[in-house]
Amino acid sequence: MALLTKAQTPPPPPRRRRLVYRLRVLRHDPTAALGLILVILLAYLVVAPLIAVLSDAFRLQYGDDVHAGQQPGEWTGYYLWRVFRSQISGLLFWEPLLNTLVIAVGTTLFALVVGGGMAWLVTRTNVPGRRWLAGALVVPYMLPSWTFSLAWLSLFKNERAAGQVGFLQAQGIRTPDWLAYGAVPIIVTLGLHYYPFVLLLVGNALRRIDAQLEDSARILGAPQRTVIRRIVVPLMLPALSSAVLLVVGRVLGTFGTPYVLGLPADYRVLSTGLFQSIRDRSTGVASVLATVIVVIGVLIVLTDTRLMREHRRFVTVGGKGAMDRLSDLRRWRWPLFGLGLAVFVVSVLVPVFTLLLSTVTRTPLDLSTFTLDYWLAEKLPGAVGFPHGVLRGSELWTAAWNSLRIVGLASLICAVAGLLIGYVVVRGTAPRVAAFLRQVSFLPYLIPGIAFAAASLSLFAVARGPLPALYGTTFLLILVMAVTHLPYSSRSGIAAMMQLGREPEEAAQIAGASWWQRMRRIIFPIQKGALVTGIVLPFISGLKELSIVIMLTTTGTQLLTTLSIGLVDYGYTQLANAVVLVIALVSFTMTYLTQRLTKSSLASGLGG
Amino acid sequence: MPNITLSGVAKSYGGGDYAVKNLDLTVPDGAFMCLLGPSGCGKTTTLRMIAGLEQPSAGSIAVGDRVLDSVERGLYVPPEKRGMGLVFQNYALWPHLSVRENVEFGLRMRKVPGPERRARAEAALKMVHVDAAMDRYPSQLSGGQQQRVALARMLAINPTVLLLDEPLSNLDAQLRLEMRAELKRIHEESGATIVFVTHDQLEALTMATDVAVMKDGELQQLAAPMEMYARPANRFVAEFVGSPPMAIVDVGPSPTGLAGSLMRSVEARAGQCAPTAVGIRPEALRLGTPPGAAWHEEAVVEAVLPAGSSWTVRLRILDTELYAVSYTPVEAAAGDVLTCWTDQMHLFGADGVRLSSWDRTEVGA
Repeated sequence: MALLTKAQTPPPPPRRRRLVYRLRVLRHDPTAALGLILVILLAYLVVAPLIAVLSDAFRLQYGDDVHAGQQPGEWTGYYLWRVFRSQISGLLFWEPLLNTLVIAVGTTLFALVVGGGMAWLVTRTNVPGRRWLAGALVVPYMLPSWTFSLAWLSLFKNERAAGQVGFLQAQGIRTPDWLAYGAVPIIVTLGLHYYPFVLLLVGNALRRIDAQLEDSARILGAPQRTVIRRIVVPLMLPALSSAVLLVVGRVLGTFGTPYVLGLPADYRVLSTGLFQSIRDRSTGVASVLATVIVVIGVLIVLTDTRLMREHRRFVTVGGKGAMDRLSDLRRWRWPLFGLGLAVFVVSVLVPVFTLLLSTVTRTPLDLSTFTLDYWLAEKLPGAVGFPHGVLRGSELWTAAWNSLRIVGLASLICAVAGLLIGYVVVRGTAPRVAAFLRQVSFLPYLIPGIAFAAASLSLFAVARGPLPALYGTTFLLILVMAVTHLPYSSRSGIAAMMQLGREPEEAAQIAGASWWQRMRRIIFPIQKGALVTGIVLPFISGLKELSIVIMLTTTGTQLLTTLSIGLVDYGYTQLANAVVLVIALVSFTMTYLTQRLTKSSLASGLGG
Repeated sequence: MPNITLSGVAKSYGGGDYAVKNLDLTVPDGAFMCLLGPSGCGKTTTLRMIAGLEQPSAGSIAVGDRVLDSVERGLYVPPEKRGMGLVFQNYALWPHLSVRENVEFGLRMRKVPGPERRARAEAALKMVHVDAAMDRYPSQLSGGQQQRVALARMLAINPTVLLLDEPLSNLDAQLRLEMRAELKRIHEESGATIVFVTHDQLEALTMATDVAVMKDGELQQLAAPMEMYARPANRFVAEFVGSPPMAIVDVGPSPTGLAGSLMRSVEARAGQCAPTAVGIRPEALRLGTPPGAAWHEEAVVEAVLPAGSSWTVRLRILDTELYAVSYTPVEAAAGDVLTCWTDQMHLFGADGVRLSSWDRTEVGA
């Protein structure tokens, strides 16, 4: 017969008993412990450096006590005053800030015009060879950003800075300073590196716009121009704003280009200013500058998310009607193909061949002075710090090995950590832990790399508690590099785990597999693909990375990128160019192979 | 083999809401028990608590003498040590392992030596008729085959308790029918105690030896399927089990229309009882000349819906629309007036609890 239960909710068991039971459960489920470890690690590696740099900005450092009239370690507004209001604050802050803004705006406009135009060309028109163009125009992104600046110097350098002059000067054409150094070359070279961002983001959005939306407007009587103005452009706004903010954020933290092209003419931006403050050991000022960069970076990303949220309401990018509706260019087909080709030539072929030729000619680009000495010579006359071809001696190979080792380990750590964060988030036993991991692992995304490196220096440069000073160790480099790439790997780790869901693991658990067995036999094998992309993408962008490592390497831990910048400092243009070519070759080959092998899209790895 | 006993089991996700409230349930040894209820009633949570994938906030779960969970005594056995089988709704086959490796996995975990492992995996696959696809990967199988592999994966370890979480819901109608018979056969062959979660009352009626109906985290009724169909414990069970559902007519203090007509008949038979609602199952509502004492009334035919073996007729009786199901051909058209009658009614009290049923056999006895 019928059997009925009591309808009331049960009295909860005594708190102590529940605790005993919870502990018993936790003992068998390492997810909670793992979550806790990740929380501590992230708090230490991401949150603590930011607090440290903030506190350094407001505490008097040793050596400044005489100027400030306070004891070292005391809370002080001295550095704020020095950076914002003192006599040298123009030099320290306002001028670099203005320059940074000029460069950011200029680069963004350049990238928008070139990238947006090319995006339209390759997604919405019947331009000849559009498939090839779409691939070729992304290549600049695969080269280190300051490749362009070195190529620029090879062409336009004048006698103002040390080392050999550029091609034009050697031909007897005097290049004015504004063309050789400063805002114009920085904007052009950065723009050439960053337009692929715009191309990828806007191109993707253009491709996904539902053609039915345009058709509906046209059927209602709107002419082509109105359709573009009232329908297409508003739908593109999210992608455009993302692209703009991404480029602005990158320019803010970029170091190599303004260092190579700006400093010879005393043209300072915030990132190079920060670098110099650190090199001059004025920690307090550096901390204030780093904080300012962090704040600007955070503001940019917050603006982006705010804009995105507002746009999401009306963005209907559906998959179904998203077909390629191509405008017929008619007689403009070939001229516009020529334009696309020109962009490719200027952004890829010219810089690469300039660099290549400069490394095989004694007088820049003069083939009658052809020589392989800069690559192969056992002894280069006149060179002091680096007296032989780059392929000779141990420097290049040591730096390459360091790059491989350090970047490789950082990428491995990064990918595994990303996957584990995804695992803890998806298992979701503790919602607050999951939320913390999700947000804090994304935090480095908000912070330009150079500022984050400065923050890490604040924390790790001196011994704190049981931890020795880590400055100059490869360990620190690996940690910081892993953390800066964590946003991408944790995002993809969470996505991969979400897609997999909990069931496969639970099925293994039911079948009797312990936690280790589940990890080893089920989770990691299934996520092999995600793990490989999770390693390769940070690896490629890490190889090109300069702004982080420039702050953290010492002569003991030279990487390919820092080796090349060091050679620039010495004025050994050809040797520096040769090293950059090696980096470009490796990074291009790896990106190309990865895309071929894993069919992953570059857009998902806008990490470098 | 022992019973599964849940006593005072509750599950709260915090915030005072309970997914399962104070559940007492015993699954007899060797039973094919079905947890039935609408979505969100706590049936899957209950199943996952038995499996150990979720932990109760209060109460205890035991298989025979072995306590698996006891919040009060601080006892807990992790899922991997419970030795149960669980088939997931979406199968959860491991995509990177072949069918054979999927099925062998549990045996590997139990350190069963190679030759025996292979033999047992093959036997399990044979039992569900997918031994031909042994070396393929899950993505190369059809939905029905994946379902069978998921089942074989759990059968291979010879579990004494087999848990099934809506295993047929992702299959098409034809396969579902086939798998129902298959599951029933496997239950008999393996001798395992099976706990089965579904929201499909037909599945529950056709396969289970015992059905537990749940609603809002509470057990509504535990009974054998036909018993439950004949004597639903309350209004919820009465309406949930059976298709088309039982028609229930609310009876006010001074009923008029159909309710009034029914109540006059009820009072004449049952005497002292005050139901608030009267229920009639569609197949108990007959068309034609009533035998002797049965309740009867004129009905207007609104629509006739033939379905091959049965005829569903929508009728208007006085002020109310009702469905009748007939297993003999109905030769009527919309607008016709017929006499309909019944000798089987269910009476429900104030809180929806069933007071008694009234039918000819009971009254006659």
